[in-house]
Amino acid sequence: MSCFTKELVSELASKLLIGLSEEENKMVLDEFEEIERNMDKINAIADIASVEAMTHPFPLEDIILRNDDDVEELAQEDVLKNASHKNLTTIIVPKVVKE
Amino acid sequence: MKSEILKIKERIQNGELTVQDLFQNTMKSVLENQEKCNSFVTILDPLETSSGNLQNIPYALKDNISTKGILTTGSSNTLKNYIPVYDATVYQKLKEVGAVCIGKTVMDEFGLGATGTTGHTGVVKNPWDESLQAGGSSAGSAACVAAGVVPFAIGTDTGDSIRKPAAYCGIVGYKPTYGMISRYGVYPFASSLDHVGVLTRSVYDAALVVDVIKGKDEKDMTSFDSSSIKLVDALNNQKKEPKKLFYFKELVHIDSYENPSEELKQTLKQFEELKEKASELGILICEESLSRELLEAIPSVYTCISCAEATSNLSNLTGIIFGPQEESSDVFEMIKEHRTKGFSPLIKRRLVIGSYVLQKENQEKYFLNAQRVRNLIVQKMNAFFEQYDALILPCSEREAKSLNPKESVTTSDTMVLENHMAIGNFGGFPSITIPNGFVNGLPIGVNLTAKVKDDENLLQIAARLEEMLGLCGQVAGGKK
Repeated sequence: MSCFTKELVSELASKLLIGLSEEENKMVLDEFEEIERNMDKINAIADIASVEAMTHPFPLEDIILRNDDDVEELAQEDVLKNASHKNLTTIIVPKVVKE
Repeated sequence: MKSEILKIKERIQNGELTVQDLFQNTMKSVLENQEKCNSFVTILDPLETSSGNLQNIPYALKDNISTKGILTTGSSNTLKNYIPVYDATVYQKLKEVGAVCIGKTVMDEFGLGATGTTGHTGVVKNPWDESLQAGGSSAGSAACVAAGVVPFAIGTDTGDSIRKPAAYCGIVGYKPTYGMISRYGVYPFASSLDHVGVLTRSVYDAALVVDVIKGKDEKDMTSFDSSSIKLVDALNNQKKEPKKLFYFKELVHIDSYENPSEELKQTLKQFEELKEKASELGILICEESLSRELLEAIPSVYTCISCAEATSNLSNLTGIIFGPQEESSDVFEMIKEHRTKGFSPLIKRRLVIGSYVLQKENQEKYFLNAQRVRNLIVQKMNAFFEQYDALILPCSEREAKSLNPKESVTTSDTMVLENHMAIGNFGGFPSITIPNGFVNGLPIGVNLTAKVKDDENLLQIAARLEEMLGLCGQVAGGKK
């Protein structure tokens, strides 16, 4: 029996702050079944656990720590331009800490 | 002449064409193409420039590349009103050489798609046949170049998002080595796989454009100094030495497929013909093998890694700092409403999968094992590149697929042939698609992939094959 359920999919979506319709939930479930079949093939590769996990296509050669100098940054006024609710210097959202 | 860009420059210099006429003709084509294919999210008035290598050359930019003061949506409802306050480095560099952006192109939402059908402003249609996909995610960029609207467009490629639409639209799609073009200001999808690249109608133009947009950028720590790589010079000074390419027999032998379609048979036949013709040019194409288990793992490895990285990268889409903010008395409900209403079903699926593989209890089995198989595939490829100049394979099983989902299903039989170009992203390898003839009267492509930073050699080989195939500069429908 599959370990994937409608409830699991809803829970994962909730963690991402995303709501799914019944139809979307079913589509995820179908895709999970497919991925699970294919992941079984990956997990069956001999000694896979001993291989180093690759996080980047190739080693970066010339990474140096930059000096702690002032750099050009975006102006506060510009950063706020795309926010829907704001005052002069801050973005306004509903109260987070409830009474 | 092999360059559409040089052709335009020459006509302007000779007085055959004025900049005003060029812009007028271009805008007429833009509007026609928009009506026919829906390539653009935003159309821009061209403004004459005063100098630079690409002075007054019109081009299009994928809509996930930040343009200060110009709407940049990522083809998503979550950013449908977002106007960047800074320029992406690639856009800045094109401005510096005088190129003229005439529009921002439709893509699959945030690049997470391969069909060109999930953008918030609608489906992109293939200029060769409007009932077909243009391919994705750089759909609008491919469609407008293929239609002859502009000589080049900028795209991005995380799995094959430049190279597949290029194949479907009968043009050139080139993704240089990872980090050769800065990704600063480009909306991230999967940072360890994301590349910026170019779509053109000739290999020469791909070289010309990438030569001016590449380079180390302090704002992108993954970019590298590529000043020793000179692509146009490499093409101009090519000595046409013997080259040795390889392909994987598991993907190219017809008997690997249980019920091959007529289109697949034709695609593989044309690959065979290319092999024979290439040998006459001194380009030897040899048979190699990659284990079935690694080949069949490619789609899942790609899905696991790209979805996981996307889950993190798209977490800033809350509708609070940018994007349309929803009304609610609870901040989390407000964000959830924004994301639920704003994301397409495809993105939601991808993000849920990404979240699943990143859960603590699943990381080892899914995410880390996918990264380990990625490593195995890259190691194998690097071993092949010790002996060979490049990998060559058909880009897909057939010509562009139908826009009707019922007629465009990929079977498990051809899943690897449809997805193998992600190898280029796994290893950051330079990779280019060029047109390789027609199936059912529609273009198909062939893909070449070389070792990291061997871009000059890759483009030299691609240019020789392009010349042999005689499809340089082709426009959809053959009107130019």
